[in-house]
Amino acid sequence: MFRKMMYKMMVFMSKRMIACDEASFLISYRSEKKLGFKSWMQLNFHLLSCHLCRKYASQIDELNSAVDQYREVCSSETCHHHLPEDCKAEVNTIIVQELNAK
Amino acid sequence: MADEVKHIIEPQFWVERYGDYLYNYAIVRVNDAEKAGDLVQDTFLAGLKARAKFQGRSSERTWLISILKRKIIDTYRKNSSSRESSMSEYQEDISDGDFYRDDDPFKGHWLEGKGPNSHSLMPEGELEQDELRQIIEKCISLLPPKLASVFIMKLIDEAESDEVCKELEITPSNLWVILHRARLKMRDCVESKWV
Repeated sequence: MFRKMMYKMMVFMSKRMIACDEASFLISYRSEKKLGFKSWMQLNFHLLSCHLCRKYASQIDELNSAVDQYREVCSSETCHHHLPEDCKAEVNTIIVQELNAK
Repeated sequence: MADEVKHIIEPQFWVERYGDYLYNYAIVRVNDAEKAGDLVQDTFLAGLKARAKFQGRSSERTWLISILKRKIIDTYRKNSSSRESSMSEYQEDISDGDFYRDDDPFKGHWLEGKGPNSHSLMPEGELEQDELRQIIEKCISLLPPKLASVFIMKLIDEAESDEVCKELEITPSNLWVILHRARLKMRDCVESKWV
């Protein structure tokens, strides 16, 4: 019974095997969305046999948290970019002119 | 009794007060110093012209940021509609000749060296925040403009998918493919920075 089920499952899966391109797409997709049952099965089946995509998955997790961190750091003044002085002077001149014209 | 704080508008102090703030905001989102400077200038000038419409309900800063936001989205739209890189190029196709093999029977497998090489993307131990910032900034700036727009809008600005699709006139499946491609390139770029 169990063997028969396993066999059926293998046949089922082998017809729906995905390659690394689709697997890596699903790895990205699951960062934002929940995978459907079929995609979830396909991805995890692929990951069982593919060490590159397993690495890819953990690296994408790292990338995502690096981007999160980057957003935190740069969401305020803490990023320390300064508007160039000449740019400031130029726009200040225009503002003063405009205000005085009124 | 109901003394609502009424914000007043003082354009003569704008540059001094908000110049760097707006510039930071812009540079993170357009990843180009010159473009960010132009956007900030445009924002101040647009604000100046429209200052009669300022109602004092929000602070000056919030008001200026909302103008800047609009301008940033306009540049994204320009990126995504420029002819040499139209969004339709990224229809539903996830295969990318730069990363995957195209020869049977290995179609769709990682190209040699294009899959992950090292075990971990980041070096072990505490990463200097500034180092991280520089790498992410550098890698975003190397993305094709369209991928960068979607990546930033969705992941840095955390806009809702619907909004990104609407503003950039793409379909949801476009969106996921573009994000996937951006991640492919970002991963590759970040990894190569450490080797």
